[in-house]
Amino acid sequence: MTWTWSNVWHWAAHPLSWPGFVGMLVGAVLVLLLALLVVMYSIYWQRKFIGWIQWRIGPNRVGPWGLFQTVADVLKLLIKEDVIPTGVDRTLFLIAPIFAFVPAFLVLSIIPFSAHHVFTANLGIGVLFYVAVSAITIHGVMLGGWSSNNKWGLIGGMRSAAQMLSYEVPLGMSIVGVVLMAGTLNLNDIVAAQAHTLWYVIPQIVGFVVFIIAGTAEMNRTPFDLPEAESELVAGYHVEYSGFRFAFFMLTEYVYLLAMGGLMATLFLGGWTGPFLPGWLWFAIKVFAFITFQFWLQATMPRMRQDQLMSFSWKVLLPLAMANLVITAVVKALV
Amino acid sequence: MALTDETDVVRTEEMLLNVGPQHPSTHGVFRMVVKISGETILEAEPVIGYLHRGTEKLAENLQYTQIIPYTDRLDYVSAMLNNYSLVHTVEEALGIAIPDRAEYIRVITMELNRLASHLIFFGTYLLDLGAMTPFLYAFEEREKIIDMFNELCGARITFNYMRIGGVKYDTPPGWLEQVDAFVKRMKGEMVKYRNLVTGNEIFLARVRGVGKYTTEQALGHGMSGINLRCTGYNWDLRKKKPYSIYDRFDWEVPLGKNGDCWDRYILHMEEMEQSLRIVEQALQQIQPGPVLAKVPKLIRVPAGEYYSGIEGTRGELGFYIVSDGKDKPYRLKIRRPSFENLQILPIILKGVPVGDMVAILGSIDPVLGEVGA
Amino acid sequence: MSDEPRKPSEENQPSEPRNPSPQRTQDPGGQGAEAIARTAMNPSPGPAGPAATKQPPEKTPEGAEKSVGASGASDVKTGTAGAAAQSAKPAAKPAAKKAPPPPDPRAVAAKEKADEIKAVLIAKLGASAVVETGAAHFTPMLLIDRGKWSDAVTALRDDPAWDLNYLECMAGTDYPEYIEVVVYLQSTELGHFVCMKTRTPRDGAKVPSLAPIYPVANWEEREIFDLLGVTFTGHPDMRRIMMWEEFEGHPLRKDYSVWD
Repeated sequence: MTWTWSNVWHWAAHPLSWPGFVGMLVGAVLVLLLALLVVMYSIYWQRKFIGWIQWRIGPNRVGPWGLFQTVADVLKLLIKEDVIPTGVDRTLFLIAPIFAFVPAFLVLSIIPFSAHHVFTANLGIGVLFYVAVSAITIHGVMLGGWSSNNKWGLIGGMRSAAQMLSYEVPLGMSIVGVVLMAGTLNLNDIVAAQAHTLWYVIPQIVGFVVFIIAGTAEMNRTPFDLPEAESELVAGYHVEYSGFRFAFFMLTEYVYLLAMGGLMATLFLGGWTGPFLPGWLWFAIKVFAFITFQFWLQATMPRMRQDQLMSFSWKVLLPLAMANLVITAVVKALV
Repeated sequence: MALTDETDVVRTEEMLLNVGPQHPSTHGVFRMVVKISGETILEAEPVIGYLHRGTEKLAENLQYTQIIPYTDRLDYVSAMLNNYSLVHTVEEALGIAIPDRAEYIRVITMELNRLASHLIFFGTYLLDLGAMTPFLYAFEEREKIIDMFNELCGARITFNYMRIGGVKYDTPPGWLEQVDAFVKRMKGEMVKYRNLVTGNEIFLARVRGVGKYTTEQALGHGMSGINLRCTGYNWDLRKKKPYSIYDRFDWEVPLGKNGDCWDRYILHMEEMEQSLRIVEQALQQIQPGPVLAKVPKLIRVPAGEYYSGIEGTRGELGFYIVSDGKDKPYRLKIRRPSFENLQILPIILKGVPVGDMVAILGSIDPVLGEVGA
Repeated sequence: MSDEPRKPSEENQPSEPRNPSPQRTQDPGGQGAEAIARTAMNPSPGPAGPAATKQPPEKTPEGAEKSVGASGASDVKTGTAGAAAQSAKPAAKPAAKKAPPPPDPRAVAAKEKADEIKAVLIAKLGASAVVETGAAHFTPMLLIDRGKWSDAVTALRDDPAWDLNYLECMAGTDYPEYIEVVVYLQSTELGHFVCMKTRTPRDGAKVPSLAPIYPVANWEEREIFDLLGVTFTGHPDMRRIMMWEEFEGHPLRKDYSVWD
């Protein structure tokens, strides 16, 4: 097949060629920039929104309405000295943030941002890919805590590993319900399956609730923010990190916020589908709602305890997700 | 592969963890050496003294009036009560009659200060448990109290307002009305706090049945204040050994039942309401008059020993003064409630998860300025 | 505004009435005048100065025994040291213009109560247990023999008639001749409030520990050990608490100097 301008962005459907490769690179960079932008402004929104909840103003000094506050923060983190404490396991300490961040960025490749599948891999095993790749982040977090040679970091890392592993199971189970209904693992097809029927949030309401809870825990956000519980563990697994490497962990957290929001929108809320507005805007609105919901939780909830957290996952969420799965399967077989 | 003996495969080890002196939830420079196995605490040993400033030694070289600002620095979130405890002991020793208005102003400021201190408890306790917002709500109201104190005595934290024989200044014009408006507003705020926090399921799961101790343990460990009353034991010095004019008000001592963190939390909330009640009545009863009794310029306490305690924010706050008849105490010992309250920690921390450590420590509500003295 | 609406109705109210009695209000003046006279008399004010005038030169037990009678006769309002000072004063101060003020009835009541406790203790521990009784302000005060210290406190705690179950305050004071350890004990059920003290020589100061009886004494005694250098025998964990381990000296002692 000859190269044309039209298949620069449609590499998935064509054999690999040099222009296609360049297009891939450009696409990846664009998605990265998009992710960074979203991260920056979700942090800004977090601070503004929580500020309003708490009768504060929030950032309002850097730029109009403080819009450049996060830019300044990122800049600060970038030009900070990269401190590597003595006594750390140097190699692991250095690669841990990368281990954490790369999967977070990788999973963005399968999220269908808009109707035209630009920058989206049309992967047949999309959902599986997300669950599998995002699990790698656990290693980064755990290694970061472990290699820091700090007891708080160690406890934070271990808590994180236990928590993410435990909540991966109900998260996966809640997704399987949707997969059963759509009959495919491909996220694009899942969106398409919802386009002409109900959004899956209605038939899969139990799965949706489990997904939201498990997703919150998976991202280590309040009320499941035990790995970085400030009042207990000082800062948790990233206690020894500073500067850019610390920024990587933060980036990971917020990119996952975007990814998890995207996944939720795709699986349960019909992805980019919606009336009147363009697809990307619908997608953005749904993700924004998810992110805002997370911040709202953060401003409202106290933190759970480790043992409560674990038993909640295994004794409440998992049975619930299983029951949902069984019911979905039975209904699907009958209908 | 069959696992014959698990210990061959998994080796676990106890870990010694230094919580503090710089730790976000030790409420100051407090340190606990904690031996943990996984997430469970096996042993906890509190280490204090990081904020020891030798107040008792300093006081031996200071005249009684000069000691008052030093008491501000003990329990720095309820300085009015510290001030009062010292001047009360000296007044008992001298047998001075205090003007009525001064007593009312004292009660109003003390109860407001107790309220401010409990607001800090409310905020920081929830912060310890991971909820950020109540902290800012609580500080909003505390700020109002502190602003009023600022207007009254020109200081926001270290008031140095009480004097032997009364208080330093009369209330500025309109101040009492301001307090009245605040009390009315605060009553609404209390309802809000209850709606926001008290029924939260996660919060309940974190505090119910956590950090329990019995009345006997509490008495043996010299606990006082809310930390004693949470076990259901009625011991409030404002009722049991009435001082000042507390017997002129109609109020109750809220009591707990189980002696757990939940009881301590809810007692703080209920005491805030009682404080509002007292302030409200005091505002109705207060009359114009002098605010400082006739006392000599140089106060000499007659030779002898004096001890008197008041119900501070955190428990019994007492001053023991040995005087040799001079203008400076021969020995001044401060009975600091937080110092006694903390001693029970090794017992109630044994066997609890690390997450509960902050819940328990926060519920004891120590102020390290007071512990270190 | 009235006092009437709510009188404290608790039965177990400790013995301190609130309103100062008239004779009470006039007595600080007299005390103050005396105090001024005494300070004026004392040529060398300093850490050791005040107590030198206060303490008769006799050794502690005999001196204290003597002062009991004297204090009973003249003025029981003040505590041990005060009592000793009072007993020494009338003789040493012919220039005193006023007669000593009449003893406060509350102080007398406290002394009577202390005598009552003394009888209990003597019945249990022998005559040597209580060295002296008096009143620390309006609180019954007993000076206990050092050897019987923890026994006496235990006896009063376990005695159902006294039931001193709550240690309110524990302090140590450095006097020129001895170090005094004071506890204020409270019966939360019966309302008794008692001050008990014991004395130990300044060199090699040792007092039996109360920590096995009242857990609260644990840190209090550690603090006294740290700041005053009194070793409490039988204490489970006798270490410094405020100062660091390597610190030398005991800052609350009157002869402590930062410059050493």
